[in-house]
Formats: sequence, structure tokens, C-alpha cells
Amino acid sequence: MNPILIPVILPIAAALLVLLISEKTRYLKELLAIAVSGVALISAFPVISQALFGTCMEFSARWAGYGIDFTLKADKLSSFILLGVTFFAFVVSIYSFSFEKKGSAKWFYFNLLLTQAFSAGAALADNLVAMLFFWEGLLIFLYAFIALSKPDQSAKRTAMKAFLINAVTDLAMLAGICITGYIAGTFSMTGIAANKLTLNGWAALGYVLMLIGAVSKAGALPFHTWIPDAAVDSNAPFMSFIPAALDKLLGIYFLTRISVYLFSLNGVAQLGLMTLGALTLLIAVMMAFVQTDYKRLLAYHSVSQAGYMILGIGTLNPIGIAGGLFHMVNNAVYKSCLFMTAGSVERQTGSNDLSKLGGLFGAMPLTAICYIIAAAAISGIAPLNGFFSKEMIYTGALNTGYKWFFIAAEVGSVLTLASFLKLGHSVFFGKRPEALKDTREAPFSTLLPMIILAGVCVAFGFGAKLPIDYLIEPSLQNLGLSHEEVLAGFHFNKLFWASIVVILVALINHMFGLAAGKGAPSKASDHIHYAPALKEIYSMAEARVFDPYEQLMKRVPSAAGLLYKVDRFLDYLTDDLPSFAVNAFSKTSQRFHTGSYPLYMALTIAGFVVFILLTATYGGIK
Amino acid sequence: MDLVTILKTAVAVPVIGSLLIPVANKISVQVRNAYAVALGLVTFAAAASLLPHMMNGATATYALSFPLGFDFVLNADLLSVFMAAISSFVSAIILIYSLDYISHYENQTEYYTMVVLFLGSMMGLVFSANLLWMYIFWELTAFASWRLVGFFRSDRDVAKANKTILVTVFGALCMLIGILMVYFDHGTMDLRLLRGETITTAAAMLILVGILAKSATLPFSTWLPDAGVAPSTVTALLHAAVLVKIGVYAYARIFGVTFMVSPAFSHGVLIIAGLSALVAAGAALIDKDIKRIIAYSTVSQLGFIFLGLASGNKTAFVGGLLYILMHSIAKGGLFLCAGIVEQNTHNKDITKMGGLIKTMPITAVAFALCSLSVMGIPPFGGFFSKFLVFKGAAQHGSILVLIIFLAGAMMTLLYLVRLFYLVFLGEDKASNPREGSATMVGSVLALALIGLALGAFIYYPSLYVDMLTTQLGVGLETIQ
Repeated sequence: MNPILIPVILPIAAALLVLLISEKTRYLKELLAIAVSGVALISAFPVISQALFGTCMEFSARWAGYGIDFTLKADKLSSFILLGVTFFAFVVSIYSFSFEKKGSAKWFYFNLLLTQAFSAGAALADNLVAMLFFWEGLLIFLYAFIALSKPDQSAKRTAMKAFLINAVTDLAMLAGICITGYIAGTFSMTGIAANKLTLNGWAALGYVLMLIGAVSKAGALPFHTWIPDAAVDSNAPFMSFIPAALDKLLGIYFLTRISVYLFSLNGVAQLGLMTLGALTLLIAVMMAFVQTDYKRLLAYHSVSQAGYMILGIGTLNPIGIAGGLFHMVNNAVYKSCLFMTAGSVERQTGSNDLSKLGGLFGAMPLTAICYIIAAAAISGIAPLNGFFSKEMIYTGALNTGYKWFFIAAEVGSVLTLASFLKLGHSVFFGKRPEALKDTREAPFSTLLPMIILAGVCVAFGFGAKLPIDYLIEPSLQNLGLSHEEVLAGFHFNKLFWASIVVILVALINHMFGLAAGKGAPSKASDHIHYAPALKEIYSMAEARVFDPYEQLMKRVPSAAGLLYKVDRFLDYLTDDLPSFAVNAFSKTSQRFHTGSYPLYMALTIAGFVVFILLTATYGGIK
Repeated sequence: MDLVTILKTAVAVPVIGSLLIPVANKISVQVRNAYAVALGLVTFAAAASLLPHMMNGATATYALSFPLGFDFVLNADLLSVFMAAISSFVSAIILIYSLDYISHYENQTEYYTMVVLFLGSMMGLVFSANLLWMYIFWELTAFASWRLVGFFRSDRDVAKANKTILVTVFGALCMLIGILMVYFDHGTMDLRLLRGETITTAAAMLILVGILAKSATLPFSTWLPDAGVAPSTVTALLHAAVLVKIGVYAYARIFGVTFMVSPAFSHGVLIIAGLSALVAAGAALIDKDIKRIIAYSTVSQLGFIFLGLASGNKTAFVGGLLYILMHSIAKGGLFLCAGIVEQNTHNKDITKMGGLIKTMPITAVAFALCSLSVMGIPPFGGFFSKFLVFKGAAQHGSILVLIIFLAGAMMTLLYLVRLFYLVFLGEDKASNPREGSATMVGSVLALALIGLALGAFIYYPSLYVDMLTTQLGVGLETIQ
């Protein structure tokens, strides 16, 4: 078999096998999933090494005709994403080993393996329709993942929300791909890249429709609203796997493909993308800051981080794009790790409510250390990985000449750090509540993935030479971008001092918040949450006034009701009205049936005369 | 067996065989049931065995001469065999499912007779190469559907059955006038001789009325949800697999592979179909009766089929034909699932259902899989037909049509997700519903898995349909 197929086909086969294993067996399903995702991860290495050092692997088969071919091509960028997908599937399957609250283990691993397979397929596909096939197929497992994670109704409703938001944006993407494929004359990404499209007429529509699919996958505003809900209604393994890692990888991957590889964009598109990124990062971080649920807070941050990536890609200059891609992988690493710490705390204490947690550092030191590393990384503190990717995004933003985006991103960073100070302080420091007296550290299989991910945060920091040389630079080459700046290494410049200022401001804010909240760390955001003017906006946001999904769903019944009225009117035209007319006619004609022979004769002759006249005038049916 | 014999078998076995079902009933109920299922299976086997021959470029014709244009001509080509194989396959599954489902009700002999007669008239219709005989079989299906919709015999059922036949026969009579106009213009009703000719707008419009009435499209759509009073097997047969597909088949046959039509006419059809898709989808979101919702969904999906068949390019036409295939299988599955739910909960109101996935897991999964295929989510077959139809619409180049159908596709997602949620997931309301019997559950699961297999092995159906379009298509743009 062509080795490029292994990461796609192997997990599918294993998922079907998992269904056959009895529910009663312990650990068999878990071990199978870990083994298979481990093999898939290993199988990704020859693929990426071929892409980096040899000729990239390809697989092509005729499929549905009309340009729809099943073509996979592991170029540098695709194999980078493939590596990420298989890596996260592997760590999450280890993490889930002793995570009890994941619903039925059978279906959990079924969904996990198929999500992995379809994501790998989407990353590798060169034909846009093949990509859509895998991408849209993920919907099924997204729905099943959430719906099966908890027995209560809220999980089912959130599953429906996640499904519908993503299905509608995928539909937009389908239309975009149809249009783009028609304009370009091919669905092959390599083929389109050879003659890049420009944004005019139908092509612009095609780009925008595909963009909707890409940024919605990444979790950008206004398509993000299912993520915070899923944080509460599903479980930590799901969150650390899909919204934290795979969705970001795929969404930003496709955003990069369309914005840099398939289309050459203009200044308007650049400004639009950067604005979308800045708005997403600011609004989401404002929401994240005031949350009091561990996972919900993280969920808003994963939206906010998507804003940074979109901002980076939107700069359209090599260093910004490099920053966007690097931030994509960094975010997946630390955000996945953070969700895992949340799951670990929830598993050991039974709660995710910040006001009920505290002082767990002593009880769960390894979880706490992993949290601190990942939180420092997401907050962009040197020398961890997040610092370097943010630095590149800032440079890219400054290079475009729009200083406002740089300022927005820095403000976002202050609030990011502030909310992680609040979160860490509430959970791991301060006084431990009486109820959590006997809390112990999480088991090994839960800790190991967190330690691996925290380790990656460190390994990808300190100048970030390794990821930049082997993942980011090759991706830029793949996209046809060249640049003069040196990306790797530690730059002791203005941006470094800016990051120190960010840290100081966030610390001062946290102390101020603590003082205002009378020492309760979970209330350290109240001075902003209940500030005049903001208070009203926050309470509206909590009532979901700004959630387009909820607002639209409220309006669906009346819109559908209107269409239903049209249907009833047509029913009146085809059913009631003819019946009425026929009745009226027969009643009227009854009156002529008096039994009078002369009347019948007169009517017959009159009819005959009319017929003759008509035939004479119009010449019969022919 | 030579091809002409197979062709004759496919038509004669169900038409003549159905008349002997009352005789079989005299022997025993088991013999009657086995005989009816056997008729369905033989018909399917005959139609399916023609498929490979058609792909190898063969055709088969059986002709009997009659005066006054009444020549009886059966002709097997790529299109007629495609359609015959789909409808006989779903009909055979429905017959198997009926073994258990219909055993709870009276008038079973009439039921089997009418179902098989219906199948036979469908075979006659698709294979007829003479418009007049097409019309005769067309009316025969109307007669059978009239008996089947009114199966339960209450006043309400009979009224709805009358509505079904009156609306469709009204359309058919308009069509007959159109056919006669064609006859007077061209001197023949033989479709093989009429290929590539032009048709007057008046005749085309009259024929279109018949098609829209049969395929339940705006403004003649409302008989279809009303006919949901029939047993679920009948609705599956009529609303999903066979009856409503007659109209789209006739469209493909008359306007796709025979006559040249003006772009304005096609554009009009697209607008009507788009509005029909939207209005029916809106109604599907409002209605509370599980079968009416699925019936409205059929009306809506038929709009997408017309979008494919009338967009005037090869991509769209192929998409439209694949849509017929995918929709027949998936929608048949949905109606049969609804039958299990209805029979075991004694209820059709979805607001009184909920949580059925716990006690009816296989039905729930089959329902979900069929819904996914109707929504066009990969890896199900529906994805490809939806994609090709949209690609064809993009090629057609009307932004209005594209927007209308995108809205329709969004609403499809919405009403099917809502339906699944309310029936299978929502809070438990029904008391002790049980899973359906093995025959019934097996039938729906088979349809669901076939929907999945059609997606995985899309290569074969798309190859067939591509050959069909290339060989028979008339006046289609060929840019890919």
C-alpha cells in the first residue's frame, strides 16, 4: 500500500474494529486506540521526511469524474499538518485511557479514530473536493462526540448547535469550492496554484465562501459560539482534541492555502482578514477573562488565539504568515495541555468551578507545573514557544503599516495573561477548600500527555530553531514565499520589552483585582466584569444576545411559518378552490335540469352553434 | 437469456404477476407473501442484469405495431435501465419490509396486488419509448397509488386518496394534450424518432404541468404530504422511491435526452423548483407529523433534482441523476424508519416523542445515516450528488438560483437535525416503545448502509451516469 494512505486508512479500520469489541472488556479498546494512533504517528514521519528531503508522496485515483479525483499529496505544508494531527490523536488517546467521564468508551474511541482519519485526509488532500469530503465528514463525529459525552439533554442541544453551525459554514465552503473549481477549470490545488486566481467577480465570491468555512473551523467570530458551550457540555479529552488542536490545525491550514496558495489577495482582503483576527482575539479574550468555569474560560481563549493566527495570516507578508502557522501549532500544544489540566483537576476534584477550587499545587504538583508552563506559553512569556510565534505575528502586523492591529494584539496579550493569573491563582494557589482536603495527583496516563505537551512548549521555545527549521520554513517555501528576516533565534528588541510591559500591566491588574475582590482570586476579574457600561454588555453577552446562532434559531419558526403559509395558500388553490368551483358549478347547472325537453334542445342547439362558430374561426385543434 | 427477453420479463412479470396475487391468496397467506416478494425480486434481478449490458453499449427494443400511433415499444437504454433498477430495488426492499409491517392490517391481498401492479406500471413507464404508452402506464400508476393511499379506508384517508389522484390526473391530462400537440407537429410519438427535435413552448409547458403534478412540485405539491395518511410502506414507495420519481424521470427523458428546449424554459423550471424547495423546507420545519415532515422533505429534495436536470450542463445533469439514486435509497429508508416508530409508539406527532434512541437504537442509527445522506454529508452518497448539482448550478451562472438552493440546503440541515433530535434524543415521552422486528430493522439498516456504500464506491454509479449523459444527453454544455 502507498504509505501516504496509512494515516487515513489505518484509523478507519481500527475504528470499525473497536465497534466489534465487547463493552465488557477493560482497556482493550483503549490499548488498541493508543497502539493504532501511535502507529499512525510513526507512519507520518516517512511522509514528512519525504516532503522535506525528497519528492513528496502522492496518491491519485479516479473517483466521481468531473474533476473530482481522489488525490492526496503530502507536500511540506500538508505533511506538517499531518504530523500535528497524528501527534494530537496519539496524546489524547493516552490521556483518555483512565479518563472515566468520556461516555461509552467504544463510541469515544470510534469517534476519536475516525476524526483522526478524516482530519489526516483533509490535510493531505490535493483535490478540493476530496478535501471537502474529509472536512465535511468530520461533522458526523463532531456531533456524535458531543452528543455522547454526557447523558443529559444539554449535551444533545450543544451537539446540535455545533453540528448546525459547522454544517452551514461547510455548505458555504462547498459552494465556494464549486465556484472556484469552475473558474479555475480544475479542483486540484496544485493546478490552481500554478495560475493563482485574483479576487474579482465570481472568484471573489468563491474565495469568501471558502473563507467562511476556514475561519469557522478555526473558531473565529461569529462562528465560535458552540465552543464555550461544548466546554461545559462535553469532556476534557474532546476539548483538548478537537476545538483546541485539530480544528485550529485544519482551519488555519485551509485559510493559508486559499489566502496565499490559491489566490493572490489584494489590500482590501488583507485589511478584512486582519480586522477579523483582531476583533476575534479582543472580543473573545474579554469574554474569557470574566469566566468562572475552568474549561469555559479556556474555550474562549481558544477562540481568541484563533484571532492571533488569522491576524498573522492576514498580514500576507512572510513573517506574519510564519507567525500564524507557528502560532497554530503552538496554540494546539499549550491549549490541548491546558484542557488536559482542566480534565485532570475535574477528575480528581469533581469540579471545574473556580470558586470551589484552590490550593491544589500541593496536592497535584505535576498538573500544576504543566499548567504553569502552558499558561506562560499562551501568555507569550519568553522563552516559551508562544512568545516567539506572537513576536512574529506582531512583526508581521507592524510591517503592514497598520499599527492599530499591533496595539490590539498587545492588549489581547495583557488580558490573556491576566485571565491565566486569575485561573492559576484560583485553582492551584490560595487556600484549599475543606472539601478538597484529600485530593491526590492524577494517574500516570493522565499526567504523561500533559508532560509531553508541556515539554513541547519548552522545546519549541528558546529561539524555536527546531520547529522553524523543519516545519515553518519549509511551509513558507511550499507556499512560494521568500523572506530576508531571520525567523529563528532570540531577538533582544523592542518587542521583547513590550512583552515585559505586558507582564507588568497584567500583574498590576491582577493585584488590583484581588484587592477589589477582597482576596478571592476567582473574583479577580470583577472590577472589569462589573465596570460601568461593560457590566451591561457582559450581561447581554451572557444572555446570548450576541450569539448569532441563538438569535437566528429564534427567528427560524417565524420565517418557516411564512413559508408554511405559502404552502397552505397553494393547498387552497389546488384543493379548496377547485372543490368549491366544482360544487358551485354543479349547483348552478342543477337549476337547468328541470326536465323540460324544449330547454334541453335549445341548449344543445346553442352549444352546437357555438362550436361551429369557434371551429370556423380558429380552424379546429390543429 | 437475450436482452429482449429480459426486458419483457422486467415489465410483464410484475404487471401480469400482480393480477395473480389474489389467486395466490386462495392457496395461503404465506404463498401470497412469498409470491409477491418473489415478483419484486425477479423484477429487480431483470432490471439489474441489464445494467452491465447497457454499459457495454448494448440496447434492446421490443416493438408491436398498432394503428393511430399506438405502437407499443419497449426500449432499454442507459437511462431507462438506471431508473428501472433503482425503483425495482427499493420496491423489493419495501416488499420485504411489508411482510411484517402490513401483517397488522386488513386488505393485505389488495395491498400486495397494488404494490406489485404499481411496480409493473413503473417498469412499463420507464421502458416505454412511445409517449402515448408512457401516458397509459402513467395513469396506471395513478390508479394504483389511489388505492394505496386510501388503504385505511376512513373518510379522511379516502379524501386524501382522491386528492392524490385528482391532482396527478389533472396534470396527466394536461400532459396528454401536450403529447397530442407533439404528435400533430411531428407525426410520431416515438421518442427514438423525436430525439434532437424542438418542441413548441405550449406543448412543453403542458407536459411540464403533468411532470410537476406527479413529482409534487410547486404549485401542485400539497397532495404529497396529505397522502402521508397511507401506511409507511406506501409512503416510502410513493413519496420516496417510485411515484415522485416518475416526474423527474419524465423530465430527464423528455427534456433531457429527447427534445431541445429553450434556456428560458429551463430557467423557469429552475425558479419553480427553487421556490418549491424553499417552501417545502419551511413547511417541514413547522409540521409536527413525522411522515408529513419527511414528505415535505421529499418535495424540497425534488427541487434539487430539477436543479440538476434543468441547469443545462453535463455536470448538473449527472448530479441530478445521481441525486435520484441517492434520494430514493435514503428517503425510502427514512419513511421505513418512520414506519417502525409509528407502529411501535402508535403516534405520529413528534412533539409527543423523545428519547427513542434508548429503546430503538438500530432504527435511530439507520434514521441518522439516511438523514446524513439526504443532507449530503460525506462519506454518504448524497454528498456527491449535492456537490455535482451545486457545481452545475455554479456553471449555469445564475446567482439567484444558487442563493435559493443554498438556503434550501441549509433548511434541509435544520429540519432533519430537528426531527432526529425531537424523535430520538429529546426527553422521553412515549411509554415502552420497542425496537421493530428483525425484518423491518434489517430493511432500514440495509438502505442506510447502501447509502454509505454508494458514497464509498461512487466511482461505479458516477461512471454509469457519465456514460448515460454523454451518450444520450441533448443540448448539454460539456465544459467540466
